[in-house]
Amino acid sequence: MTSSSTVAPARGARLFNPTIASITLRGLLGRKRSLLLIPLPLILVGLSALVASRHASPEHSVSVVLVGLGIAVVLPLTALIIGTSVIGSEVDDGTIVHILTKPLPRREILLTKYLVAAVVSAVVVAVPMLLSGLIIDSLSLGVGLAVGSAIGAFVYSALFVMASLLIRRAVLVGLAYILLWEGLLGNLLDGTKVLSVQKYVTEFAAEISGSPLLHGPMSLVVAIVMAAVLTVGTLVVAVDRLRSFSVAGETS
Amino acid sequence: MADVANTGTIHDIGYQRYTGQRLGRGHAVRSLYVYSFRTVFGMGRSAKAKIFPFSVAGILLVIAVVAAAVKAQFKVEIPQLSYVDFPGTLSFLLVLLLAAVAPELASRDLRNKVLPLYFSRPIGRDDYVLAKLAALVTAVSLILAVPLFVMFLGGAFSGSGLSGAWGQFTDFLPGLLNAVIYAIVLSAVALLIASLSSRRTIAAGAVVAVFLVTTPISGVLQVVGTETMRQLASLFSITGILSGLRNWLFGGSAEPAIGSFGPLYAGAAVVLVALCTALLVYRYRKVAS
Repeated sequence: MTSSSTVAPARGARLFNPTIASITLRGLLGRKRSLLLIPLPLILVGLSALVASRHASPEHSVSVVLVGLGIAVVLPLTALIIGTSVIGSEVDDGTIVHILTKPLPRREILLTKYLVAAVVSAVVVAVPMLLSGLIIDSLSLGVGLAVGSAIGAFVYSALFVMASLLIRRAVLVGLAYILLWEGLLGNLLDGTKVLSVQKYVTEFAAEISGSPLLHGPMSLVVAIVMAAVLTVGTLVVAVDRLRSFSVAGETS
Repeated sequence: MADVANTGTIHDIGYQRYTGQRLGRGHAVRSLYVYSFRTVFGMGRSAKAKIFPFSVAGILLVIAVVAAAVKAQFKVEIPQLSYVDFPGTLSFLLVLLLAAVAPELASRDLRNKVLPLYFSRPIGRDDYVLAKLAALVTAVSLILAVPLFVMFLGGAFSGSGLSGAWGQFTDFLPGLLNAVIYAIVLSAVALLIASLSSRRTIAAGAVVAVFLVTTPISGVLQVVGTETMRQLASLFSITGILSGLRNWLFGGSAEPAIGSFGPLYAGAAVVLVALCTALLVYRYRKVAS
């Protein structure tokens, strides 16, 4: 009895830890600030219902509401807020120490937190996207948008979880990325689309829905490869960063 | 023994009364204003705190220099970067700036729970709010005014004599006024949102979310509406109200078309600022301290 309770149980390499997942989930959804996640999807569905009720042209509705608001604003903002807070808020509160001092591989901690962030973001965005696509045009459009933005949530989450480990003001840098790189340069300089998650998501949604209303901006293969490379690459960097993570007090 | 008892002092740990001049409420408010203004630019803080405000100000300045150079060299105006259109065209940079600095002003004091220290001074809760807001408005106006002034200098000295310079000056003044209007409206909204969260990251996200989400709303109304509806659509977004007001007051670019609803846009801007300021004052009367 005594020996088994002092020696850590033997275990293989695990990528997911249910205890950390439940703690992260509670930290994410169990507070008042989780209410911040409600308005964005509501506005998306509400505006879709509005354009559908006014019989606006589907091309316009898709480009303004579904792409302009859904893919370009709601998806990255949701992923940013969730992705930077799964680890960032624990660093702010100092509770990250309690998790880092447990005899768990850092990879297990990081991947669990990433998975929670990605799944929550995907659910928060994909459900209203499905409804909006359904309201505006058809179920296939809704499914395409939902699957596309769910994939996008996984890519964005990896990016923002890494950012929250590398940069102290990750939210601001993330906002700058969304506003300047994807919002401005993505529409001015055509070449930046290869490095724009928003464009991958549009491509996936266009391909899956098969709808003539959505135009894929790039080739599907490039989008798949780039999304995969970006996700895996940022996760590797994030794991590496968490291995040598030092907890410092808040400065300026 | 008796001597010691008669001195009557058990512990003298050196507390001294302040005997200097008391500078009063006005001075306290002015100090808070100056301090907050410095906070916006990260002055008196580490280099990290200066990165964001100065890089946004730098980008705006570079854009202004390029616009002025193009105007002087090739004698072509870039219509989106005229004096009055400058803040509207680059409003996304202003939003980013406000997302960075408004939480510095509002959220940090809430998070560190230092409001009781402020309010135990001869400074009222309303004074606190108004000093912070005034500092933010001043700073944003300055960040906009410097590029405009550079553009004016470029225009004034690129030949065509005194009349040309005077013509530039009469274009520059409305641009400056417009920049101040932008600063007032954007700052009031951003500071209100930032004051709702004690966490700077959440506040920054919320500021950007409010600006980004209201823009497509007016975009949607432009798509679905009738002619009148289209002219009113920009009232539903903060940047739309500002560009509508600009078009009514100063001409500026054709977008958005506002028809004869100019005064309504002016009213909307005034109501928005008044409402945000009132809510800020209300919030700080209630906030736990």
